[in-house]
Amino acid sequence: MIRLRSFAPRVALAMAVVVLLTSLLGAGWGWLRAQAALRQQLDLVLAAEAEGLLRDYETFGLRGLSEVAEITSRRPGPLLVLLQAADGRPIAGRLPAAPTVLRGFATWRQGEGEVPLRALGAVLPGGANLIVAADLSSVDRAATALAWTPPVAGGVAALVALGLGFLLASRLERRLAGISGAARAVMAGDLARRLPESGRGDEFDRLAVTINAMLARIETLVAEVRQVTDDVAHDLRSPLSRLRQRLEAALARARDPAADEAALEGAIGELDGILATFAALLRIARAEAGAGREGFAPVDLSALVAAVAEAYAPVAEEAGRALEAEVAPGQVIEGSAPLLRQAVANLLDNSLAHGEGRIRVRLRPGAALEVEDEGPGIPAEERQRVVRRFYRLDRSRGTPGTGLGLSLVAAVAGLHGGALSLGEGPGGKGLRATLALTPGERPAILKPSS
Amino acid sequence: MRILLIEDDAATADYVAGGLGEEGHVVDVARNGKDGLFLALNEPFDVIVTDRMLPGPDGLAILRALRASSITTPVLLLTALGEVDRRVEGLEAGADDYLAKPFAFSELRARIRALARRPAAQAEERELAVGDLRLDLLRRAAERGGRRVELLPTEFRLLEYMMRHPGAVLTRTMLLEKVWDFSFDPTTNVVDVHVSRLRRKLEAAGEAPMIRTVRGAGYVLGPAAPPGGAAPR
Repeated sequence: MIRLRSFAPRVALAMAVVVLLTSLLGAGWGWLRAQAALRQQLDLVLAAEAEGLLRDYETFGLRGLSEVAEITSRRPGPLLVLLQAADGRPIAGRLPAAPTVLRGFATWRQGEGEVPLRALGAVLPGGANLIVAADLSSVDRAATALAWTPPVAGGVAALVALGLGFLLASRLERRLAGISGAARAVMAGDLARRLPESGRGDEFDRLAVTINAMLARIETLVAEVRQVTDDVAHDLRSPLSRLRQRLEAALARARDPAADEAALEGAIGELDGILATFAALLRIARAEAGAGREGFAPVDLSALVAAVAEAYAPVAEEAGRALEAEVAPGQVIEGSAPLLRQAVANLLDNSLAHGEGRIRVRLRPGAALEVEDEGPGIPAEERQRVVRRFYRLDRSRGTPGTGLGLSLVAAVAGLHGGALSLGEGPGGKGLRATLALTPGERPAILKPSS
Repeated sequence: MRILLIEDDAATADYVAGGLGEEGHVVDVARNGKDGLFLALNEPFDVIVTDRMLPGPDGLAILRALRASSITTPVLLLTALGEVDRRVEGLEAGADDYLAKPFAFSELRARIRALARRPAAQAEERELAVGDLRLDLLRRAAERGGRRVELLPTEFRLLEYMMRHPGAVLTRTMLLEKVWDFSFDPTTNVVDVHVSRLRRKLEAAGEAPMIRTVRGAGYVLGPAAPPGGAAPR
């Protein structure tokens, strides 16, 4: 369940090791400091004892001192006293391995493996040498006892850290298992699955919210792609079946040059239509994928719109309609001129094919193009859908066109960071298509095939 | 004409070479970029037709190499469907024309003819003339047999393009590209409307037809017969 590969126990273990190591270092340092302090204390004790003995010597003379020394050294306790003659001959007391004459402090060992001794020596006016000593084992024992405190505390801290680490690990493991399980389900095809959120709003929840937003976006995109694929399959199947029937019928008929030629020409016409649909689909796909942005250059939108309107004006006239253009001068944007030209042309094609009455083309400063007509317009609930590939209103099924025109306009708008929105013309009549070509100009975002 | 075709797809190469051969052209076919570039650099051709995607140096690389060697032979670049927005890239590399696959053979034929007719270096021309039709490029005025013809700017551009290729079949796609810069086929018949308006202006009552419609292909400007006999230079 909890393996060392898991993050939290690894951290806990590392922390425990660090706590232990620092407490051991602390113990060493503490021992040294304690020992030094205690030895200093001991030196003071020795000095006080020596002073007392010297006072005895002043009061009672050498004989008195030797008696006191004898008594003191027999007394149980760490304190040892030796009174020796100037030549090292002991007079009173006892001290193993004492030097012949000691003046001031000294430390030595009584023998191999024995505890070290700390001693203070003084030479008396008669030449005799008084040495007061204490063995250091008690001092070292006290230092050791003091030094044990940090490692004991450290060990406890390390154990607590380990315990907390494992506890944290199991909770982490549980939450990660939830995330990982959800991710696996998504991978297995359940695109509607989302990561669990605890509701505590912690960093895991924030991560889950972000990933869930990403999953929602992926789900939408996949649904769109699926929709597009279905649309493509459906809308290419009908012309392809028509083509097949046509060719089959022609083949089954008796050979007749004129009829065969007509059949072949019809087939080529049908194929050209299919190829045009393909080309439009590829263009939309490329524009939606953002391809071609690297080729963006400054485009004189005013000139472009004016030129397209000029190309379409006679067409409108022939159809008994009027086309009026009102173009703000000097509108330049970064973009793809061929695609923008096609977007404008598609909007005009759309108005010519599905609209009625006067067509008004208006390029507003800030680069928004409006195309209005006085036809039946598009019902509000259909406006999102007509931008989808192949989607056509029931009443326009009979008119020529691929059903891809507005999809391309929307894709081109998106490529340029803008948006296509559809609304009502002036007075609630007809259709007004607004192609906003700068990001600031989006009234209501219409995405292709959404 | 001697035409170099650089195309790696055998079916397309045979189809194009066969069709152009039937038209009476001599066609050399190279099946990869290396051979194609070698031929293009070392043999004189009237027109070079090259695929954009090729093994070895691709169409654009060949084009750049040719232009870098100051070879100005007209080049027609063939490209895959849906890459029309790359047209500019091809034209900037020095291509004279651009055609997306799959194409109608009549379209290719018309474009090759138009390319071959293009003067190698366009001198400063002041006037174009086809038959009794004259176009003053400086004053931007047209007249036919002394009768002044009032033209709108678009009609002027259309007529200028047609008069630069008299007697050649100009397809709707070519006119859309060259006159309107449309690299797509609009649903509405923009070209037909403009051509018929221009025709009405050029052919007053009693005058001989100037623009002929070639069924399923496009339009030809020029005196009825023989086509191309009255080239303006």
